This record gives sequence, structure tokens and C-alpha cells, in this order.
Amino acid sequence: MEFGPILRAMTRSKVRYGLIVLEIALTLAVVTNCVSLIRDAQKELGRESGFDDANILTVRSQPFDPAFQEKGYLANSVRRDLDVLGRLPGVKAVSNTRFLPWQGGGSSTETRPAGSKGPWLRNQIYNADEGTFAALGSPVVEGRGFTRAEVESEDARLATLSATARARGEDGTPKDKITQDVVISRAFARLAFGEGSPLGKRLEDSDGDQYQVVGVIDRFYNPYGWPIHEYALFYPSSSASYAGGSAYLVRTEAGALGGVRAAAEKALLDANGGRNVRVRTLLEIKDGFQATQKLVLGVLTGVIVLLLFVTSLGIIGLTSFSVAERTRQIGTRRALGAQRGDILRYFLLENWIVTSLGLSLGVFLAVALNAALVNQVRAHRMDGSYLAGGVLLLWAAGLLATWFPALKGAGVAPAIATRNV
Amino acid sequence: MLLHNLRIAWKSMQRNRTLSFLIVLGIALGIALSTTFAAARHAFARNPLPSKTKVLRYVRLDSWDPQKAYPGDGANTVPTQVTYRDMTEIMKSKIPARQTGTFKTMLYVFPDPKVSRPFKETIRVSHADFFPMFAAPFRYGAAWDARADASGEPVAVISKEMNEKLFGGADSVGKTVRLEDRDFRVVGVLDDWTPSLKIYDLTQNRGVGAPENIFISFAWFRPMNLRTFGNSDGWGPSPAQRGIEGVMVSEQTWIQMWVELADADAVAAYRSFLDAYALEQRRHGRFLRPLNNRVSSIPELMDDFRVVPREANTLLVVSLLFLAICSLNLVGLLLGKFLARAPEVGVRRALGASRLDIFVQHIIECEVIGIVGGLLGLALSAAGIAFLNAVMKTQGGRPGFFQLDAPMVGLSVLLALAAGFVAGAYPAWRTCQLPPALHLKVS
Repeated sequence: MEFGPILRAMTRSKVRYGLIVLEIALTLAVVTNCVSLIRDAQKELGRESGFDDANILTVRSQPFDPAFQEKGYLANSVRRDLDVLGRLPGVKAVSNTRFLPWQGGGSSTETRPAGSKGPWLRNQIYNADEGTFAALGSPVVEGRGFTRAEVESEDARLATLSATARARGEDGTPKDKITQDVVISRAFARLAFGEGSPLGKRLEDSDGDQYQVVGVIDRFYNPYGWPIHEYALFYPSSSASYAGGSAYLVRTEAGALGGVRAAAEKALLDANGGRNVRVRTLLEIKDGFQATQKLVLGVLTGVIVLLLFVTSLGIIGLTSFSVAERTRQIGTRRALGAQRGDILRYFLLENWIVTSLGLSLGVFLAVALNAALVNQVRAHRMDGSYLAGGVLLLWAAGLLATWFPALKGAGVAPAIATRNV
Repeated sequence: MLLHNLRIAWKSMQRNRTLSFLIVLGIALGIALSTTFAAARHAFARNPLPSKTKVLRYVRLDSWDPQKAYPGDGANTVPTQVTYRDMTEIMKSKIPARQTGTFKTMLYVFPDPKVSRPFKETIRVSHADFFPMFAAPFRYGAAWDARADASGEPVAVISKEMNEKLFGGADSVGKTVRLEDRDFRVVGVLDDWTPSLKIYDLTQNRGVGAPENIFISFAWFRPMNLRTFGNSDGWGPSPAQRGIEGVMVSEQTWIQMWVELADADAVAAYRSFLDAYALEQRRHGRFLRPLNNRVSSIPELMDDFRVVPREANTLLVVSLLFLAICSLNLVGLLLGKFLARAPEVGVRRALGASRLDIFVQHIIECEVIGIVGGLLGLALSAAGIAFLNAVMKTQGGRPGFFQLDAPMVGLSVLLALAAGFVAGAYPAWRTCQLPPALHLKVS
């Protein structure tokens, strides 16, 4: 092999080769880190909610007719809405709940296992009625869900509670503690109680009120401002007020979403026109929620493609120049009996050496850049396989970019040696 | 001479069009990407109210649970907002020249039935000082005054858009707008008001979004049972009182509190006032954490609330690296291009051109490449900005949030010139070092 001559030739234009080495090194560093950022974001974006996202509609009803201020009127209206929505063709389940997945927030509180002196655990907290878990497509897998009777009796109890001030003890918390049946997510059950069945166990809040676990749903993921995406607690109650309106989850059969969507607003306004109604699919909400991250992913992917393009351009330029510069030498070598393949191999080898030098420097740069990103933007540490992948990719890109100018070099006729350029 | 050099540069670029195009494209992509992301970052980072930076201060009080950190990053995190009772107490201070508590709520607007169906609208609730403090411009009328806050007059300020919607854009001062079951008299109509950030409320969406369309006095908080539609964090046992009475005595933090302090002395005096207030509260069993009250300027606040998203920083770093790689690439290509021209340079040197002449000629050629690339890059980044704005709009953000404003265009031109120079200096220097005689011999 011609390692010796190639290296000696290269040392004669150190700057030119140095530049391309540096360019390849930087390219490797940026490309691998971009890939790492992309993979991280994709992992986050790809997390499944555990709900039947593709077949769920959210419906918001916001009353302006003062008649809705009367509790009974509002409650009747919610019952009628559920009935109207439930009767639309293609609807599988309906629910009135404040929990609308993928909204990037909601209600949260702090609880801990009853009697423990351990840390408070923050969890999302929502109401559910008898249809909520069916409407989410996340059935209760252990224990039980809520019944209509339970939702109604809890509504009545909560109304009484909020009508009367609760007597306080010495410590400022209510004297009479409440115990509430709840359904929690599997992840929250694990966090609070560890492995084993949480059924029958209790949580408490800072008022001393207790929450008895009667059911568990398996998978739950709802993006939230705090890292409590998987921890949820549901209590039985309907959810509607004049100021806040009422919200519904509607789960349809596969393929029926569009039809239900088109019919829902009109059906509800026909039932009661004293309000505004807005219907959206869960996927729209999810897409809206993820739009920024998806945009960043798109941009980073674009940067990778452009970088490979620009770097390939640099390699093509370098090789073309090498070829042009050495036309006479190539002619001479050819005249002395070198085959085309020999010439081709010379340039490919030269480029491989340059690329490899760049890549070995690039590995260090990549690790350094990653360390900076981990510090600055709390990125994750880069997986080593991305480096390996990047090295292979750039080797391939380098050889490909050299191929055509090198072919041109190999095409130089031996007779050129005899000519004055 | 310059003209002549420009002509040479132009001819040289035309000699190998594909290569020239690729060179220009490379630099254009680098400029486009870095300008776009510099502009994107700048949109968040720029001070939305520079004229008030010296005097406006955001107030935070550490009224949080002594047993547990405020949810966020560190143990020293202060609640982002204040409680109702703290707002009421500290507003008794005479130190601030102006002051306001503010929050957003949502109410139904009942327009004339001929105009539209009733609709729900975000309403900002504040004290009278809010408008001069945030330099809100008025088209008709003016803000309500402190008397209206004290007596609870039903008065409202509406935005230009809302005035357009409800009153067809006419001077509506004195007319009424019905919110829920009450008529509010319009005392002022705002003019176009598009600060880059809703600086007065950074608690949600980093303050990205247009200002609210209707403003009413804090005096209506209690009579109308207004509740916040923004963030609300609290701790401790729930209050004995129900409803709004409970909110008024609870440890719920939900009000953004602003003061205007004339000078550094006033800031210092106000800080001591807040600390004294906190210590006094401690005697009543509140404020049990170490003193940690904040009186922040706008830049400090933007820093604390992390207004610039992490993604913007990442993308800017990546795009600058990309520009660096494009420049490196350009150095290599130019070096090749220039050295290939050695015989021509030799002839010119032999005919009496000085090294400086040769250097200048080549640098000018590089700058031409840089400028053409920069212009193309600027056009590309205008497209990029338009795209980002379109995405922002679907996100419910303010239209035109990202802008290619004068500083960004300037930055882009500077980057282009710098890239041209950085990339061209070494190749041009190498070229002018070529000995005149060497190439003459061969040809």
C-alpha cells in the first residue's frame, strides 16, 4: 500500500488537509449529538398514554344562559348531554370528567400513605364518573371502578361539605376526617405502596382526609408541568359548574370518530342552546401539545442532512483539487504502468486517511460537546452506539464523495505526461 | 479599483458556476440557519419594555411551607406569585410610586345580540396603576383611576380588537360592555399593544401570547367571585372558610404583584419593608422559612422564569456550529480554487501587482461570495421565520412573534461578512505569497 507516499504528500499541504480533518471532526460531533437529542425527544414523544387516543373526542360545554347557575338545572343538563352523546351512532362510552388527557396540566395535590411520616408525594387528581375509564380506554384492571349511585351520593356529600365550614381542631385541620374511595394508576400505587396489591390501602392529605384505594388502572401517562406524568388519583364525582362549564370524553368505535365529531356540537346545541360547545379530537390536542418538540426534531434532522451535504461538498472539492493539481503526476504514473484501479485506490486511500484522522478527533469533540449540552440544556448522555454509527456513516459519505473526482483522476490519459500543461 | 476587483470576482465566480453555486449555497445555509435561530432566541430574550427596566420590579414573597420546597428546582425557589392577603398588606406601603396586583380570569361577554353570540373571554384584573406601569397606549379615553379601585366602579378598558368586535372600531368611551350579569362602562380603548412578551404575567407559556382584550378593576374580585384562570399553587390545610372567603385567607399564591420604584434607594427601602413585613408575619406563625423575598427587575425575572426555552439555546448552538463547519468548508474550497489560479497570479505579480493588490483582490472575491451567500441566507431565514410564526400561530401564540428585525438583519450581514473574511483570509494570504517567477517558467 502507498501509506508512506500519501502521508508525505499530505504533509506538504498540511493546512488544506487539516481543514478537512477539522471539518469532519466537527461534523461528527454535531451529527452524533443531534442524533442523540433526536432519539431522546422521540422517546419522550413516543410514550403511550395508555388511553385509546385515536378514538377519543373531548367536548367542552360552556354555558352563558344564567339558568345553568342553578345546580339542579346544570346537573340535569349534564345528564342529558351524556345521554345525547351516548346515543350518537358509533359512540362506545361517554364520561363527564375534568380530566382531559394531553392538555399538559390539570389538578394536582400531595398525598402519602396514611399514617406514614414519609415525604408528601405529588399526584394528579381528577374526578371520574361511572364511564370515565371506559371512555379513556384504560379499564380498571384490579378492584373496581365507580357506579352511578356512588357518583351521585358523592356529589351530594361534596355539596354538603362545601356548603358548611368544617370544624377545626387544634392543628387547624378539620376535626372530622373524610374517607374517600379512589382509583389510582399502577405507577402511583407502586410509588406509594411498593409492589403487591394496593387495594384497601389508604393515602392521606395535609387535611388528614383519607383516600381508600378501591381500584387500579394499568397504564397512565399525562404530560404535566411537574414530573408526575404517571401518578394519578381519581375520585367519584361529576364535574360541572356555571363558571367552568362541563367537559366530556367520548370514545368512539374505530372509524366513527369523524361522524361523531361532526354531529356532536349540533346535537348538544339542539339539546340546549344557552351555551357554546367545542369539540376536538384527542389527537389534535396531542399534536398541538407536541408541535414544538416535533418542530425541533424536524430542524435537527434537517441540520444533519445539510451537514452531511456540506461536508461531502468539502471532500469533493478537496479531491477535485488534488486531482487537478496532480494531473501530470498521474499521467506519469500511468505512463510508467499504473492501472486505473491503482490511481483510484490512491485517492480513496488518501481520503480514507483524512476522514479517519477527522473522525478520531471528532470522537473527542463529540464527547466534549455532549458534556456541554448535558450541562447547559440537561440533555441526556450520548449513547456510544451513536458515535459508532456516525463514524461508519462519515466513512461511507467520505468514500462516496471521493469516488467521482477520483474516477476523473483515474481517467487521466498516460499521454498527458508528455504534454505541457 | 474596487469596481475592477468586483468585476474580477464576478468573472471568477462565473468561471466554474457549479462550484461557485455550491460555495455560495454552503455559506447561505449556514447564515440562514444561524440567523433564523438567533432571531428565534432573540424573540424570547429581548426586553419587552426597555423604557421601564429601571423602575419596574416584580415582587415575590416566600410564604411557602417551611417543611417542603416550592415545586421547582432548588430549596431556595420562591413562589412565583403572592397570596391575596399578602398583596393587600404590602400594598399599604407608600414606598412604590405605583403598584398593582394582577391576575387573569375568564368571563362571559354578552354583546348586543345583533353583533354576536355571547362568548367567553380572558379578562385581566388589575389595579389602576397597571396601565401607566406597563406603558399601555390608549387610542380613546384613559385608564380608570385609583378612586375607581377604591369605590369599585364598574369600569373597563378594552383592546383595539375588542373595540372593533363590539363597537365597530368607533370611539366607545362611555358605552357599556356586559360581563356576566353586570354592565361595565368603557373608560378607555387601547391602541395596538404588542410587547414582545406579556411581561406582566410570565407564569404561563413564558408570557408568549397577546395581551388580554378586557381589563377590569381588582375591586371586582370579591363582588363577582372572580377566580384565577392562571396558575395557582398553595400548601397547608384548606381554609375553614369556603369559596372566595377561603381564597382570601389561604396560602394559595395566584397574584402577580408589581411595583414601580423610583431609584436604588427606593428599591432598598422596599426590600427592607418586605423583610420587616415577613418578620412581623412570622410572629403570627407564617413565613417560617428563612427570609427570601424578591424584588426583581425585568431581566432578572426573565432569567428566573426561564423565558428563553432550552430548545432555542440548543438550536442556536447547533446552528452556529453549522455555520462554523460551512466556513471551514469554504476555506478548503477557496484554497483549492485560488491556488489553482497560481499561474495567473504569477503573471499579474510579474507585471507589477503588489502582494497587497493580490490579497485585496482575493479578499474582495471572498466577500462577494459572503455577501451573495448572506443575501440568499437572509431570504432563506425570512422563510424560516415565516414558518416558525405559522407553527406559533397554530400553538395559540401571538402572530408575528418571531421577527427578522433590524438587529437580526444586521447580525446576519455581519455573520456573512465575517464568514467571507474568515474563510478567505488564509487562502488569499497563501495566494499572495506565491512567488511570481515559478509559474511563469512552466507556461
